[in-house]
Amino acid sequence: MTNRVTSLLRFARRRLFATPLDAVITLVCCWALARIAEPLLRWLVIDATFRGATRADCTGAGACWVFIRARFGQFVYGFYPIDQRWRVDLVAVLVIACTALLAVKRLPHRGALAAGLAVVMPPLVLFLFYGGFGLPVVETRDWGGLMLTLFIAIYAGLLAVPLGIVLALGRQSRLPAIRTLAVMFIEFWRGVPIIAVIFLASLILPLIVPSGIGVDRLARAVIGLALVVAAYMAEAVRGGLQAIPKGQSEAATALGLRYPAATVLIVLPQALRIALPAMTNEFIALLKNTSLVLIVSILDLLGVAQAALADPAWVGMTLEAYVFAGSIYWLLCFALSRASLRLERRAALR
Amino acid sequence: MFIRGAVLGAAVMGLLPAVALAQQLAPSPTLDAIKARGHVECGVHLGLPGFSFANDKGEWSGIDVDFCRAVAAAVLGDAGKVKYTPTSVQQRWPVLQSGQVDLLSRNTTITFSRNASLGVNFQGINFYEGQTFVVRAKSGAKEPKDLDGAAICVAAGSTEEKTAADWYAERKLKVTIVNFQKNDDAIAAYDAGRCDAYTAGLGALAGQRIKLKQTGEHVIMTETISNDPQGPVTRQGDERWQAVVRWTLNGMIAAEALGVNSRNVDEMKAKSANAEVRRLLGVEGNFGQLLGLSDDWIYQVVKQVGNYGESYERTVGMGSPLKLARGKNELWTKGGLLYTPPFQ
Repeated sequence: MTNRVTSLLRFARRRLFATPLDAVITLVCCWALARIAEPLLRWLVIDATFRGATRADCTGAGACWVFIRARFGQFVYGFYPIDQRWRVDLVAVLVIACTALLAVKRLPHRGALAAGLAVVMPPLVLFLFYGGFGLPVVETRDWGGLMLTLFIAIYAGLLAVPLGIVLALGRQSRLPAIRTLAVMFIEFWRGVPIIAVIFLASLILPLIVPSGIGVDRLARAVIGLALVVAAYMAEAVRGGLQAIPKGQSEAATALGLRYPAATVLIVLPQALRIALPAMTNEFIALLKNTSLVLIVSILDLLGVAQAALADPAWVGMTLEAYVFAGSIYWLLCFALSRASLRLERRAALR
Repeated sequence: MFIRGAVLGAAVMGLLPAVALAQQLAPSPTLDAIKARGHVECGVHLGLPGFSFANDKGEWSGIDVDFCRAVAAAVLGDAGKVKYTPTSVQQRWPVLQSGQVDLLSRNTTITFSRNASLGVNFQGINFYEGQTFVVRAKSGAKEPKDLDGAAICVAAGSTEEKTAADWYAERKLKVTIVNFQKNDDAIAAYDAGRCDAYTAGLGALAGQRIKLKQTGEHVIMTETISNDPQGPVTRQGDERWQAVVRWTLNGMIAAEALGVNSRNVDEMKAKSANAEVRRLLGVEGNFGQLLGLSDDWIYQVVKQVGNYGESYERTVGMGSPLKLARGKNELWTKGGLLYTPPFQ
């Protein structure tokens, strides 16, 4: 204990108070921090109201977290029927359990299991969310909140990653037709603002397509997002592909492997490992970009927060709503970047 | 067209009601679709206090939502059979045009160019909106022209800024317009005493007044300096459906004018000697059938949703947190602008 204290003191003297100038800078910074932290802490915690049920209970000068508590269900599930929310909870448990299972390094047949889950889980989750086959149907318009934010991000990601890999390979292809197509696709979708894509996908499509074959509003938004993100992913993967020396694929050919086998077994595993940080980056950007679906009134986490502000019973809770939604986004993105860091380390060890 | 149909219907009714009915009922794909699917698809605002919002339990309410419910009661006999599609400003027209909703009931201002160029029809006015001012009660200002010499907070570059500046310039009154980056900043400045008034639309002001520190000390002027009447919107075509929407609104207003409300509607239906009340509630004539509805359609509306006044008071009026006076949204007999053609 004392050892620690002395080392801390030594650190402070060496790094913070080495010269008079250093000491002044340190003190000024501490003072500024305190000046910011104090009112922030006051608003967030000290003067905030946590208990109660209505706006009238919020008498303090600080935040009114009662609002978040009262609306918590909506922030997480949107307008998903209350008696059906267990389905969303079940999905959350399943996803967490699968992730935990796959994190066990010594698991036998881990690769095969992961591939199997990747095939089985998306339709299973879709079924649990939407219903049918005996489960009451919950239309996508009732989905919302955090659940929807994650749904859009993950499904758009699931569509975008394979498409991105194919596009990146296409861009490297020796066949001019495929290369041109891939380049055109990538450059087109990279050049269009996401908000315009979502808008077009959800508004122009139904006007063109004859009524009756209505593609679900949410599906349109997810596909629109996936197309743009696929273009970004393709560029991230291309970076990985270009980092693999030509010798690798030449050696694979020399061993008698054809193009598909050489690509899947030799080139891609290495390329994806290199591209992983960039791809994570794209995914984090995607997670935050899901909030753009608000423009077509799909109520994701941010949308639900915004809609909640219109309730006269809670009017004026703007700061609370945005601070809450913002911290959830931050937590998710932070968790993602930590998880990707772990993956990278493990990949580097091999 | 409807009136002529009604006269014709009444004339032939005694002889061959069934034949008369078959002749008059123009096909209405929208009505058929609603009856087949069992609910009304209503486009509403994503969230506007008093007009359309969802509460903690996810239930929608507001004056625009009430109208969706009224249409459902008229068509299906159950005000609960509505599904809401929240729409953004950019999205509302395509959502209506592409048939994703049966009607828009979404504080949308009726303008010539919208009617003429968007392929939509407005079916009456359910809220007389207009730009006005919120002032401190103790200032004594009652109407916009009393603000001579006052400082008015607005968001820079907004339509409100221009309308207010023009209005006062035209009347050679001197006001100081104080500009702010955003609406929220402007109203906060007003609350802090930087200005004597803050200007915005009537409905928006009512919602924002709740945010002020001493809500009770501020009054909203009923006189407006712009006319932005709002009402339900349908696609062009399908005349019978348009008539259903239009006359549901008229029915709510007529019910108030005739003194029919959700509490006395059963008694009125059983005992009223007033011919128009009897026709309105389906005791006399077959007005509902003429539109392909059940004859007690307006009875269901009033019973389940209420007349216009009840809906107003519950959502934006004195029975709501917004506490907006009736103002122009009062019957013509009481100094307002609400007026309905007769149920004859």
